[in-house]
Amino acid sequence: MTKKIILLSFCACSSVFAQSEVEELKTLLAQQIKATQALQKRLEVIEHKQARQETTHKHTQKTKQQKRSQIAQNTQKIEALEAKQAVQSTPLPISTATTYSQKSFIPDIALILDGSTVGRNVDNSTYEKYYIPGFNSYNPNEGKDILFNKNRGFNFNYAELSLFSTVGPYFDATAIFHLRPEEFEIEEAYITSRSLPYGLRAKLGRFRSEFGRINSMHQHAWEFTQNPLVFEALLGNEGMKDAGVQLQWVLPTEDTYFMVGLEALQGNNDVSFGEVEKNNLYIGYLKSSFDLSDDTTLLAGASLLHGKNDLGKTTNLYATDLTLRTAFDSYSSFMWQSEFLYRDKSVVDAQEEQAGYYTQLIYQYNQNWSTGVRYDSLYKNLKNAPDDLEKYSAMVEYKPFEFTKFRLQYVYDKSKFYGTDNQRKNTSEILLGFTIEAGAHGSHAF
Amino acid sequence: MKKTLLLILLLNLSAFAKTHVVVAYPYLGKIVQAIGGDAVHVKVLSSAKFDPHFIVPKPSLIPAIAKADLLVANGAGLEIGWLPHLLNSAHNPKVRVGTPGFVDVSRAIRLMNVPTSVSRSLGDIHPEGNPHFDTDPHNILPIAKLISKKLSNIDHAHAQVYAQNLQKFTASWKQYLKSFDAKMRTCKGKKVIQYHQLYNYLLKRYGIKYVGTIEPIPGISPSSKHTIALIQKMKKAHITTILQDPYHEKKTAKFIAAKTDAKVIVLPHDVGAVSGTGTLKDFYNTIAERLCP
Repeated sequence: MTKKIILLSFCACSSVFAQSEVEELKTLLAQQIKATQALQKRLEVIEHKQARQETTHKHTQKTKQQKRSQIAQNTQKIEALEAKQAVQSTPLPISTATTYSQKSFIPDIALILDGSTVGRNVDNSTYEKYYIPGFNSYNPNEGKDILFNKNRGFNFNYAELSLFSTVGPYFDATAIFHLRPEEFEIEEAYITSRSLPYGLRAKLGRFRSEFGRINSMHQHAWEFTQNPLVFEALLGNEGMKDAGVQLQWVLPTEDTYFMVGLEALQGNNDVSFGEVEKNNLYIGYLKSSFDLSDDTTLLAGASLLHGKNDLGKTTNLYATDLTLRTAFDSYSSFMWQSEFLYRDKSVVDAQEEQAGYYTQLIYQYNQNWSTGVRYDSLYKNLKNAPDDLEKYSAMVEYKPFEFTKFRLQYVYDKSKFYGTDNQRKNTSEILLGFTIEAGAHGSHAF
Repeated sequence: MKKTLLLILLLNLSAFAKTHVVVAYPYLGKIVQAIGGDAVHVKVLSSAKFDPHFIVPKPSLIPAIAKADLLVANGAGLEIGWLPHLLNSAHNPKVRVGTPGFVDVSRAIRLMNVPTSVSRSLGDIHPEGNPHFDTDPHNILPIAKLISKKLSNIDHAHAQVYAQNLQKFTASWKQYLKSFDAKMRTCKGKKVIQYHQLYNYLLKRYGIKYVGTIEPIPGISPSSKHTIALIQKMKKAHITTILQDPYHEKKTAKFIAAKTDAKVIVLPHDVGAVSGTGTLKDFYNTIAERLCP
């Protein structure tokens, strides 16, 4: 009898393993449990009997052991079956907490923090009133707006919050906010097309103009903390950023890169343009790049900014840029970058022609260290204004990690004047700054 | 008569119109060429001389992407530092991420070292898993299969060519794997350290144990503290092999070798990374020769 039951349960077991339907599993499991219970009962009876017997036969001992191991095996199999059933009948999630959750549509978010400590040979309230002769003038009542590293002592420049998301098949959206201790600024907020054919891309919103080289870069991506002198003089501390539209075209060339860009902007920049009764600024540029060797690349550009200044007359700004970059290995490179700007501004009964440039060398020694120097010059000025306005900068940068940057920088500035009597005020400044980038990080530009 | 002429002309035209494929790394170029044959024109965007994480995003690479019908990326975040910017600048809707023209070959691979938690405090880790699967030749076939599928998708006219080439390539590669496996068999149980977790797929496949890395955490340069600990670990476990990639500094590896009597082996990480690795087979042969002489 016992043997039969064991055999049966065996059969049942093997048949169970051959099938996988839950229902059958359940019924079989019930049978199994019954069978095992019966077995256990029998075993108990036998044990009871055996206990009463004073002499233990080796034979019974053996069967007992056999039965024990059978039961153990059966229990094991039942446990396995139960586990299997548990997996198959895991309850479906009934919580509705995430039914309309939109978590997977959250934009890419990046946070950039930038601050510094500065030593300068002039106190803060005087420094604010420094001006560049021929380009701006002395105002005893109001200091100018210096965006970065304004104070002797400690500066927290900004927390930059940037968001990026694809908004549909046709457009991507980007927004970059500058949060300063007392100010919230939309640095850029624009949409770009995704699906225009023939190498075209359109952008609209508020954005930094992509003419030249440094204008479209954000401050934290600059090699030196200050705007080049010629940009400060001709476009102000903020550079050229405004509301408008842009169309760029990548030409279908072989190995040489050609890109043509056209922009129409409102023209709020009151340093060179600024007549905003209607939109007034049009920008066009051509960029090209090719390899001189496997590891050396040249990038060059020419741009024209044509608009109306605050006198309602025409300003033309011509710009050229040249960048040469050689990679020595994965982490070491050399870069020479220069930009030249020439402004032709019509004023009442006159043409004002002014020009300047910067040129900089950056040597990336390894993944952690780099160093660089820059020379700035405003060499062409108005007839009665000085034309020996210059600035020298040098820096050493340490990056313990890709997204953490410390910079020691020295600047000697010979371009600033002060007071109604036009005193020349040369400033020297030493700065130790930090920049960190957290969250989603965009890939590097060239 | 005219019709036939026109037909012949059209056929010719379509035959000459090659599918333009740009690939992120050299080994992908070799696979695409093997599958695409004469029907494709392949351009490799990076050189194996450089760290695959840090390729210079040269604007001169943009025209090739602008013209491409298919872009083949390694994926798993390997090119995240350089390719997205170029891709954006190329204004080519055909190869945008998520379109049929964009191939991420990591999708054909079961990735190793997928982190259970992700934080930049752990260095330059890839949330998707270890992206250096090209060091294991067994990963070539699934990639070839995916590429063949994607090529056929965008270029129906040559679907048969791609299928045939894949068949040929598969047969020859399987043959090659047999000889490669035989060469690697002797190395089973060997213990090594490596600079970066670059060879994990290869080491796992052939039962070689990697005990540590020279960089303390991914993307961070070696520190003296970590190096000393590593030397002690190596001495204790009698590890005599240091795997060094061709692009990182070799000073630390040599220093460790001098202290532990270990041997520094420079292993290529991609086709063309060291001399004599111009083809896929030569690339893996060099790995086998250097790791399991």
